Order: sequence, then C-alpha cells, then structure tokens
Amino acid sequence: MVHVVRSTVLEAPVEAVWEIVRDFNGHDRWHPVVATSQVERGRVTDQVGAVRRFRLETGEELREQLLTLSDAEMSMTYCLLDTPIPLLNYVAHIRLSPVTDGDATFWHWESRFDTPKGREAELGAAVGDGIYVAGFEAIRTELGA
Amino acid sequence: MARVYVSSVIPAEASRVWERIRDFNALPKWHPRIRDSRIEDALPSDKIGCIRSFHLQSGDNIREQLVGMSDYDLFVTYVMLDGPQPWSDYMATLRLTPVTDTGHCFAEWSAEFSCDPRDESDLVTGTGRNVFQGGFDALKRHFGG
Repeated sequence: MVHVVRSTVLEAPVEAVWEIVRDFNGHDRWHPVVATSQVERGRVTDQVGAVRRFRLETGEELREQLLTLSDAEMSMTYCLLDTPIPLLNYVAHIRLSPVTDGDATFWHWESRFDTPKGREAELGAAVGDGIYVAGFEAIRTELGA
Repeated sequence: MARVYVSSVIPAEASRVWERIRDFNALPKWHPRIRDSRIEDALPSDKIGCIRSFHLQSGDNIREQLVGMSDYDLFVTYVMLDGPQPWSDYMATLRLTPVTDTGHCFAEWSAEFSCDPRDESDLVTGTGRNVFQGGFDALKRHFGG
C-alpha cells in the first residue's frame, strides 16, 4: 500500500482556510486540476455520504465519497469510488490545525492506496505533488498567504 | 474540563526536534523553566509508566508519569501526579508533525484538566504561555528560528 503525506504552513487564519477546504464540492473553484464538479443525487456539499462527480482538466471523470467531515476537528476523510487512474482502495484525509503563535494554518493531507506493482512512485508523486501540493499553492495564492 | 492548546512551527526537521524532546528526563536540557529532573526508581526514561520528578526554577516540585510515547507518530503523553497548581486529572500531549514542503516541524502541546471554574482562565493562560509557548520559544531559539 502506498502512503502519501504532504503538509504545509499557510500564513492565513485556520478559519479562512477551512471555509474553502470544507466545501466538498468546491474544489473546481480553487484546485487547478479540477475542471467541473457536482454532488450527486441532490445531496448537499457538507452531507456525510455525499458523492462528488468531477472532471479533471485532462478529461478523466472521477467519483469520490465524503466519509468524515468535522468542523470541530477541521478534518475530512473521503474515498475514491470510480477512477480511470489505478488508485485502488484510495482513502484520503485532510486535517487543518491553527498555528497559535502566528495566526497561521498547518495543513496536513495524506492518503493510502493500492496500485499496480511498479507504479507506486509515479502515482505517489502524481497524488502528492500533482494534487496535494498543487492544492496548497492554489489556496496560498487565493488567500495571499 | 479545561483545555489548553498551543502550537508553533520549529525551523528544523521533526526528527531533530524529536531527538531533543523525546527523553522524558530531559526537560532541564531544553525547557528554561525547569531546573532539574530525575526518573524515579531508576527506570529508563522511555519506559511507559516511569515517573519524572523535577523542580521549576521557582523551586516547586512536580511529579509526572509517562503514559504514552510514539517514535512513529512523534508524541509523548503524560499525567501530573503532584504539583503546586490547583487542578486535577491533568493530562498533556506534546506532538510533532513534519511540514513536508519546508522540512520544518509543526509542534502541538495540549492539556486537559479539572479545576475550580474561578481558576480556569488563569491556569489556561499561564500554562499555555509559560510552559507550552515558553518551551516552543526555547526550541525555536535553539534551532535558529
């Protein structure tokens, strides 16, 4: 099983970052690789169990389900349901924490998944750098942080 | 239960910061408020259940017991057995997490305890500022932050 971990510190209050990140269906507005996204079956974006169906800028369509959303812990967990990319048993976890001596935010984003033998490093980097780090940088720019 | 939470970013690899704070008997080496420390009954300082007996610079004696430690998740959890503060059921955790994009370390120190509601605000503020932030400031100075 591949374990991907990326983390960063944003110079912005944790509430401001969480407001953007907690919107499970909002990633098409801030993440550079996501073109369009919609929540299936009339659910709302912060409904645990909601499924987002989204299309990447490269054309692939994926479906992910929200498993955990906690405003108290500022954390969320979601899994991939359908993907043309071989990320199997993919579960990802986001956690935000305040940096109390600087009014900044620590953002921890990790996942575990199975993938065909020999593609671990390639897909680990694609997820870690192509999705997580690219997401950090997009929010950093959006918040001027 | 009253709760204290303080967090900071230390400009060093988490493994190096962990090396400095992991030893349950090492408070006098890195925390400016601690004068001396010993482990009771000649136990190893990483044996879960061992007790450290130490003095603050003010002369007060405190006894704390190690109840959890992880070299994998980089945290230490302890309870206070004796001390001058008017609280009970005091349990604290000091945790480190790598910041992957800078090679720095996110440090969190939290505690929960029971006390008279009239004392709560002073105890929360004092512990957070003097003990937790004071420790982080010393680590930041040591690692050149």
